[in-house]
Amino acid sequence: MGQDVFEITVNCIKLVLIFLMMVQAVPILVWVERRGSAFIQNRFGPNRVGPLGLLQLLADAVKFLTKEDFAPDKAIRPLFYAAPIFALIPATLAFAAIPMSVPLEIGGYVFKIQGYDMNVGIVFILGVSSLAAYTILMAGWGSASKFSLLGALRASAQVISYELALGLSIVGIILLFGTFNLTEMINAQQGTLSFKAFGHTVTSAYIPNWGIFYQPLAAIIFFAATFAESNRLPFDLAEGEAEIVAGFHTEYGGFKMLMFFIGEYGHMMLGSALMIIFFFGGYGIPWVTVEDVRQWAAGLSESATTISVITTLVHFLSFMIKFVFFLWVFIWVRWTLPRFRYDQLMDLGWKTMLPWALGNTILTALVIYLIS
Amino acid sequence: MTPDVFLFWFLALLIIGSGLAVLLFTNPIYSALSLAMTMVGVAAIFITLHAYFIAGVQLIVYAGAVMVLFVMVLMLFDIKAEIQAFSSGKISGAIKLISVGLLSGLIVGGIIMGQKSFVGELSKDAVQVAEAQKVKKSTSPDAATKELGMVLFSKHIFGFEALGVLLTVIAVGTVALARSRGGTHHAK
Amino acid sequence: MAEASGMPLGGVIFLTVFLAIFGTFLIFLARAIGGQRKNNSAVKRDIYECGIPGQEKRETKVSVKFYLTAILFILFDIEIIFMYPWAITFRDFIGTGQGTFVFVSMMIFLAIFIFGLFWEIKSKALEWD
Repeated sequence: MGQDVFEITVNCIKLVLIFLMMVQAVPILVWVERRGSAFIQNRFGPNRVGPLGLLQLLADAVKFLTKEDFAPDKAIRPLFYAAPIFALIPATLAFAAIPMSVPLEIGGYVFKIQGYDMNVGIVFILGVSSLAAYTILMAGWGSASKFSLLGALRASAQVISYELALGLSIVGIILLFGTFNLTEMINAQQGTLSFKAFGHTVTSAYIPNWGIFYQPLAAIIFFAATFAESNRLPFDLAEGEAEIVAGFHTEYGGFKMLMFFIGEYGHMMLGSALMIIFFFGGYGIPWVTVEDVRQWAAGLSESATTISVITTLVHFLSFMIKFVFFLWVFIWVRWTLPRFRYDQLMDLGWKTMLPWALGNTILTALVIYLIS
Repeated sequence: MTPDVFLFWFLALLIIGSGLAVLLFTNPIYSALSLAMTMVGVAAIFITLHAYFIAGVQLIVYAGAVMVLFVMVLMLFDIKAEIQAFSSGKISGAIKLISVGLLSGLIVGGIIMGQKSFVGELSKDAVQVAEAQKVKKSTSPDAATKELGMVLFSKHIFGFEALGVLLTVIAVGTVALARSRGGTHHAK
Repeated sequence: MAEASGMPLGGVIFLTVFLAIFGTFLIFLARAIGGQRKNNSAVKRDIYECGIPGQEKRETKVSVKFYLTAILFILFDIEIIFMYPWAITFRDFIGTGQGTFVFVSMMIFLAIFIFGLFWEIKSKALEWD
């Protein structure tokens, strides 16, 4: 975590800040969702509480806090209470491994703008997000209700089926970049399009060097699989209203349910961030490399600290813009598409996505083999 | 007490504690969840040994797939809580287990250490590994994973293909077994 | 040991412990502010079943398809895991001239994988109704 106490302290504070950022983003996202869905459905969203309805979520949070803490008689207490706490863990652990900007160099220290830097980044993220199945199972079993149990089993079966498609669609990207490390993947996507084929270097000044131009099919499969992983529409049968009441969180009320939603939105944020890193250049600015930005910042000021701060801020802004765009796409899709039936959902995961992802991997390997 | 030593002892106690909990819990779901915690602890130990990829694989496959299967199956079959494993209570049962484990560990360790040639071999390998480690420290952190990939696809290629066949056989066998009991199709 | 620019294990453990404590704190906060459950009526304490009192026993049978899905998931997950070191070293192998061998061997593995998937789809092991 660092050599001396100062660095360790700063890293710990950074981890806490990243978690708090995730928690704070949830009310904002819910507000965007409610106003956005209202806009799509041609009605007003919340617009009474506070300007533009922004304080609506604060009021909701206070309401949740003051609700009675409720557990059914037959519920298994330890599991029932442990499940919402455990819901926070996979999403936060995975999100803390995402690099959000260029590392900041102040004094003699280098601070990375991520919770911790994993060199097997994507394998760690996949591993930790596969622990999300335990939240669902603990909640479903702990509720001691057969509806919750059935909902939990269906939701976890859905989650694990789409983990396959998720893991497989990434193999193409790893073949392309040859590394698991997320920062190196971002660095490989700088500047304009250029790759080596048959000994020549093909470049184009109009297209940025992003992953999506190399792997469009993988991008589509990955994006669809992230919808399924975070139980969002059109894949939210396991928690859909009017289907199975509320699935595995039927028996939860008040703050415990809010913690489940923090986990769900956390997975959504993780999916957006991964999408950006793999296919849209991460924190990089299109057509422009990190060095160019550093030179521009050097033109603005003299001290090394300020240059580093400006570069970091510019890249962070770029990351945030792409991030917010993809979160909006999540919300947009939710209110546009109808829900899948459960057998359609499982068919899609096993019989459509898996073969297509395999085909993509084989094709990518073939192309790389042939052009080298 | 350096941070590394503290980390090791913390993880070791975590793993042993969860392992004991698997045996001492009477509710099978708690046992399965403790086993999942043990797997996560083992993944953490792998990290301290610089085997990063293996740690990730342990998380993905063991903690994220196998244990999920265990827990799902336990929920499907609604197994009632077993009778207690030790008749005179859990604490004395835990002490019995720990002492047996310590004793067998000491015996095995004594036998191995006593064989001088074994010790010589061990230290010879260790010296080689340490020297290779010194060379490797200067390369990128990805080196261990790439090394693994290189060795896997050159020396152990037959085992790799055999694994593919084995997995397919398991898949076919499971489906056949489930079907033979009328599992996947209900008589319409 | 674990910090040599590889995996910051201390950070992961710190974050997990912090989250567990934070979550527990939140639940206690909700209990303290909202109040614990008041046993007002028997219906309130029972589990939800669309508003009517509970009908069936809890021990209903669940389909075996969940089990099959989980087993097949493990198998295909292991196969995917094996593709990761291959993907990361593919270019290096091409560089050392062994590209053909590695490519063909992985294609054989994938052929076995695809055969397994194809057979399992064809035998309707994953039909959900």
